[in-house]
Amino acid sequence: MMATHGDSEREHLDHLFSVAYEELRRLAAAVRRDDPAASLSPTGLVNEAWIKLARNPAVAQTSPLHFKRIAARAMRQVLIEAARRRHASKRGAGVRAITLDESLDAGMETAADVIALDAAIDALAILHPRQAQMVEARFFGGLDIPETAALLGVSEATVQRDWRAARAWLASELRPAEPRPQ
Amino acid sequence: MSDAARWQRVQQLFHDAIDLDDDSRQQFLARECADDHTLIDEVIALIDSDAESHTLLDDGVARAAHSLLAGDSASLPTQRFGPYRLTGLLGEGGMGVVYRGVRDDIGAEAAIKILRDPALSPARRERFRLEQQTLARLHHPGIAQLHDADTLPDGTPWFAMELIEGMPLTEWCRVHRPPLARRLYLLRKVAEAVAHAHGLAIIHRDLKPSNILITGEGDVKLVDFGIAKQLDADGQSADRTRTGLQLMTPAYAAPEQLRADPIGVHTDIYALGVIGYELLTGTLPFALEGLTPAEAAGVVLNRDPARPSQLARQRPAEAVHATRSQWADLDVLILTAMQKDPARRYATVDALLRDLSHFREGEPLDARPDSLGYRAAKFFRRNRPAVLTSAVVVAILAVGTVVAGVRLARARDLAVAEAVRTQRIQQFMLSLFRGGDDEVLAADSLRVSTLLERGLREAATLESEPAVQGELLATLGGIYQQVGEFTRADSLLQLALRHQFVLDGEASPTIVRRLTALALLRADQAEYAVADSLFVQATEMARIVAADQPDVLLAAQEGLGQVRYEQGRYDDAIALFERTLARHRLQDSTATAVAGDLIHLANAHFYAGRYDTAAVLNDRAMTLYRQRLGAAHPLVADALINLGAIDAQRGNYADAEPRYRRALEIIEPWYGPDHHATASALTMLGRVLVQLERIDEGRQTLERALAIQEQVHGPVHPSVASALNELATVAMNEGRYDDAEASYRRMEAIYRTTHDSDHWLVGIAVSNQGGVAGRRGNHPLSEQRYREAVRIFTASQGAEHVNTGIARVRLARSLLRQGRFAEALQESELGEAIVAREMAANSVWVTLARKDMAEILGRLGRTADSVRIEKMLADAEGEGT
Repeated sequence: MMATHGDSEREHLDHLFSVAYEELRRLAAAVRRDDPAASLSPTGLVNEAWIKLARNPAVAQTSPLHFKRIAARAMRQVLIEAARRRHASKRGAGVRAITLDESLDAGMETAADVIALDAAIDALAILHPRQAQMVEARFFGGLDIPETAALLGVSEATVQRDWRAARAWLASELRPAEPRPQ
Repeated sequence: MSDAARWQRVQQLFHDAIDLDDDSRQQFLARECADDHTLIDEVIALIDSDAESHTLLDDGVARAAHSLLAGDSASLPTQRFGPYRLTGLLGEGGMGVVYRGVRDDIGAEAAIKILRDPALSPARRERFRLEQQTLARLHHPGIAQLHDADTLPDGTPWFAMELIEGMPLTEWCRVHRPPLARRLYLLRKVAEAVAHAHGLAIIHRDLKPSNILITGEGDVKLVDFGIAKQLDADGQSADRTRTGLQLMTPAYAAPEQLRADPIGVHTDIYALGVIGYELLTGTLPFALEGLTPAEAAGVVLNRDPARPSQLARQRPAEAVHATRSQWADLDVLILTAMQKDPARRYATVDALLRDLSHFREGEPLDARPDSLGYRAAKFFRRNRPAVLTSAVVVAILAVGTVVAGVRLARARDLAVAEAVRTQRIQQFMLSLFRGGDDEVLAADSLRVSTLLERGLREAATLESEPAVQGELLATLGGIYQQVGEFTRADSLLQLALRHQFVLDGEASPTIVRRLTALALLRADQAEYAVADSLFVQATEMARIVAADQPDVLLAAQEGLGQVRYEQGRYDDAIALFERTLARHRLQDSTATAVAGDLIHLANAHFYAGRYDTAAVLNDRAMTLYRQRLGAAHPLVADALINLGAIDAQRGNYADAEPRYRRALEIIEPWYGPDHHATASALTMLGRVLVQLERIDEGRQTLERALAIQEQVHGPVHPSVASALNELATVAMNEGRYDDAEASYRRMEAIYRTTHDSDHWLVGIAVSNQGGVAGRRGNHPLSEQRYREAVRIFTASQGAEHVNTGIARVRLARSLLRQGRFAEALQESELGEAIVAREMAANSVWVTLARKDMAEILGRLGRTADSVRIEKMLADAEGEGT
């Protein structure tokens, strides 16, 4: 019985993730089309996805907080894919005409940053899974401190403490090409 | 030491050292880390990073996301897809990307659709596979054809389909500006392709102009079956759990899609209506730009679109040219397809196609203009639950009247429909639709009203066919009644009745129908006594002359039941409702019709004070709804709400609470958390919580209800006003008079904006302000407010209305408190006479009126009268227990 329950739970999570992911992609596509009404921030996108999907039966059984956690993961996925594509298009010059458009260049740098951030969060997950989850939720899902605390089942003070340390750690991980003292 | 443990250690040192100055920090670290310089360096590096700003980490990913997403596009894969090589990007969506591809061997081009990130979830792979299967079954010149499908070695599924080079439908129309006939031809072609899919039990679910391309040859092609759905045998969507995937485009999404109700062919019919609307007017029916998805859904669910003809007049440059009479038909055609209630749309795409043909041939449409009765019914359905819910007695009575009026209207609609069915009348109507000058039919007047004028003239000339003439007079009268012109309806229905007496003699089934029709009008005019005697006459006659036509008797009985209910003669009403119920059972009507009768009965028992019976009947209705519609259907929630109202009425607030909560558990997921139905249920829960003296919780619940109403309807809306009324009542009970007064004033301002300034709802807001002033001891202000309320109720509902009576009772109390006993007595007597006539002897207002009257009489020294009144009070109390 437990196994069945586990399977359906997994299926539910998979479905939830896939629903959130596709909704975010769609919302992201609106940003891409330069639709002025489109939300720009991941927080906005995640919130909008929540509003839009709230009537979805799969989502309706889920608390907003739980949804945001899943959506944060989906948002991270959406952004990292966009960054990888951007990066690939730079490396594969010729496939795509490169213009010296400023925003495009800035995008290039950002792509590298986001890819590095993604890797750094993965590395953090090995050291301290809760901190990685916290970063993901705060960063990509726009959860504020009380929400993050509720999600992780810790006090707000703990979230603030964890965040400060994790941020400092990520910042030193992301510091460009500076040899770390051994 | 493991990495994780080391990281714990580093963090601990970081937190301990971070607030120290440089010197003490070095000392501290040297002491703590001994010789572990790596550890010291790591902590120092962290502390340095802590002090530095980092754009990405501190500003959040918003900026990064924007720059990544804004310039993002899928790059062109270089691998081959079967025989195809990709040559360009055609489009992308949430799930996949569509490329242009070419077969090098034969040079043919195709559209290649691939699933993006297939590893992410099996659900997405499944949906992609379904789209491919769907396409494989469709073979129609109006639908892009599937050519090939396979999976890449890395697991990415793809399929190739007919490459359509064309322009989206609406854009094509903007560029080519085709005339009306051509636009309707295009709509017909789209509908034919959709009908083909429906024939294979496939619904598209996402019809919109960008999925409909017009080729260079002018052919129509449907291109995206991405979220199409297989229907099962009974025409309902096969899996309801996924109907709410919400992948459709809001502007073209049908209300049932937004509510996650079951979808079916009617869902595509709605989208065809929207597309037709846009084709004709150049504008979408609802302005959704800049709204959040939730707001947009609120608009689509709750607002009626402007008639296409109206838009065409406002923005002639964007609309197609059509004559006024053409517009009148186009309004009916498009708005029928776009009905919010799927049952009122064209039943099939073929029915829509038939009306398109009728239009082309200049024949009358099968669709009929929406009736006002229906609109009113819809309004009250939207604003339900109304009957059993209001704690404010005033509101119960007033709303109850209107709701019963709507039920009567439904019975009358049936009667009118019956009359219209008569073949001769149909032919006659047909001649009206055909004949005459196009320009007579003003687009902005209800088409029926023009018809009526002409009908009346024609009726006068029909003396050679008296039967037809009579039928016509009755029909016209019924229509006038529907559009609210009671005076003209009255003279026509009376004329029709007299006419029938001349034709048939003393009694006939037709005379029964005429009597019933006139009685329904009297009920609409709130002349219940007259309506009652007409209904009685009709039922008695029907038993004698219409024994073989049970529906004739049934209609009269149902009307009589409603009128008795209206008059508070609940036992009579119950007996009559029982007969309707028996009849419905006999006719094997649907379980939901029977459940509807049970609810009527339950309400009558409720008002008759037989709460046990009302509870049992509601329970039975609920069981039927559960069996037939499932436990999570809103009608089940309605029954739960009625049961909760019964508990609340008996003072069993603790039992009412879980019922309301269960109702909410159904309603909230069904309609969504920000829906007015949710708000209504919250309102009732809030009231009960207040009664349970969980004031804070109750207030919060009511405030949430108010917030939803404001979000759904904007700050100025009757629902907001009604929520304010509840909150004000709580504030009043808590002694927060300023808050109460502010809420009542806002309520008044809203009703003055949304209704006439003399509307009875304004009167209620004003009267309640009098209540606040009274509680504060400001009796002159209270008097002034009550006098205003009396004036408003008299103007809006009549001098004898129960609301007028209640306002007078309240006014009398205010005068009593000011020591103006003679004036008080006058108001008290007027008020008591009304409420005692309209309400039960032990009801709140009658009791209050008599208590005050006894006190006034006592003060005036009329002790004997005072004692007499007190005796009446005691008797009434005895009856009640």
